[in-house]
Amino acid sequence: MDTHSALYHRCKSRLAELRETAPRQTVTLDEKLKENGITRREFMTWSASVTALLALPLPFTNLVAEAAELADRVPLIWLHMAECTGCSESLIRTDTPNLDSLIFDHISLEYHETLMAASGWQAEENLEHAMEAYKGNYLLAVEGAIPTANNGAFLTVGCKGHTGMQIVKEAAEGAAAIISVGTCAAFGGVQAAAPNPTGSKGVQDVIDKPVINLGGCPPSEKNIVGTLMYFIMFGKLPALDMFNRPKWAYGARVHDNCERRGRFDAGEFVETFGDQGAKDGYCLYKVGCKGPYTYNNCPTERFNHHTSWPVLAGHGCIGCSEPNFWDDMADFEKPLGRQLLHGVDATADTIGAVILGATVVGIGAHAVASLFAKPLEE
Amino acid sequence: MTQVATHHRELIFSPAIRIFHWIRALSIVVLIATGFYISWPFLVAPESSDVLVQGWIRFAHVIFGFALTSVTIVRFYLFFFGRSSIERRSVKDVLSINSWITQIKSYIWMGHLNKAGVYGPLQFVTYVGISLAALFMCITGLVLYANVYHEGFGGLIWEISAWFTALMGGLAQVRIWHHIITWAFIVFMVIHVYMAVWSGIRFKHNSVDSIVSGYDYHKDH
Repeated sequence: MDTHSALYHRCKSRLAELRETAPRQTVTLDEKLKENGITRREFMTWSASVTALLALPLPFTNLVAEAAELADRVPLIWLHMAECTGCSESLIRTDTPNLDSLIFDHISLEYHETLMAASGWQAEENLEHAMEAYKGNYLLAVEGAIPTANNGAFLTVGCKGHTGMQIVKEAAEGAAAIISVGTCAAFGGVQAAAPNPTGSKGVQDVIDKPVINLGGCPPSEKNIVGTLMYFIMFGKLPALDMFNRPKWAYGARVHDNCERRGRFDAGEFVETFGDQGAKDGYCLYKVGCKGPYTYNNCPTERFNHHTSWPVLAGHGCIGCSEPNFWDDMADFEKPLGRQLLHGVDATADTIGAVILGATVVGIGAHAVASLFAKPLEE
Repeated sequence: MTQVATHHRELIFSPAIRIFHWIRALSIVVLIATGFYISWPFLVAPESSDVLVQGWIRFAHVIFGFALTSVTIVRFYLFFFGRSSIERRSVKDVLSINSWITQIKSYIWMGHLNKAGVYGPLQFVTYVGISLAALFMCITGLVLYANVYHEGFGGLIWEISAWFTALMGGLAQVRIWHHIITWAFIVFMVIHVYMAVWSGIRFKHNSVDSIVSGYDYHKDH
């Protein structure tokens, strides 16, 4: 705890500051929880698990709870770019309103195209108003890639026909922190896959401010809410990894914490989907699991109320939280060593074997010719 | 009756060079075999999951990987700072167009192979290429190692490994290039063995054995 005391005090004073500001909701979180039948005990359990998720020691639990209650003091603008809304779905599509979705409901959501009631001119006005009124204080979440070709004309949003690029640049200007939610916003995702005719890029490539990348297609609701909670608690960016992803979520590879890791080390592999190995829960490496090259906390946090995740369901990881995953991790049901290399449509092994064959033929020809060559004069 | 020696011998490869050559050769062969298993685990599953087939093969890959890494570092040092200049002299040939023509002609049965150092220019450039490939394999290998073994040495090189991973565009890229470059070693090995045997026969000197004994033999005139 000693090592965390500075962080603890930072959080304390940050929350005290937030408490001074006016709430943006008329209903407190406490009332919302009661209304949805969530007990105080369940709320504190959730707070403890978020504390653990963020790799913080137990005494931070109270601060997490307090931060959740003060979430309605932090204005959030959520932009949709070139995307499928799967990341928002990951967060809101739950069978019962659980705490993660409630917090998202409670945080002062100023603009979110999927969830807001406003449309047309009114929606545009809301966005402009929020950007003006909370300049320098709002949290900006972006979902989806930014098309940049033809000056961004492949994506225009709203009645004023602004391009996505224009909107993101403007919104980023006054943001206190920027979160790229999902692989598209972080690295371009599927939209940026070869040949990328729209010139789609991640948010970090079109603006010049630090961006927190939440890779994943989609990222789990835990990683989204955890990042929001971190910002509410500390008002700054968490420790980030090589691709600016929070270390508490993307610090380990999927492979490191996989429940099938023992099968991998033992050399027990599923050969084809549906074989006896698959029924026995063998490792999915040979049917294309990209867990060894993917940093994420899916095996420990899972998805949909901690219900399941791809490998538990019987399919390998496709590496969706990594940059260029659509190109780099293909073919999704073959290991990387059997990947068809771009442009030649052959595996490295096929090309290598052909070169080796040509070499052997060349050597053979040279050896035979040597038999007939004139010997060297002494 | 006294026998008169018809040849004199010359030490061309120091013991260090010979020992490192064979450690490297052994490492490369083992690394290729175990590497292909890691890429596509072709052995059948063991009777019990207590037998860590993948684990042991990866262990061998790591041990020989470290052997190759050490030799690669020492060999780079020896090339620049070794006492004998027999390898460094070849740089002169590389910079001379005539030496290139002489060597390539000698390979197509036209004339002798005259050179300043122990290697011809084409041979020298090939060795530099394969040494750089070895360096690349060692670096990417260490990056992959740091991702599997998080404590100790793996932990020590974690930060720089992460930096290198970002440079390559992700761990998948590190992994796939580690696989592709393997083929350079396979093709090189076949050509290397053939050329060693062939040039010994063609130019009537000690070629294959010199990397074992260290000596080359020249006829007295």
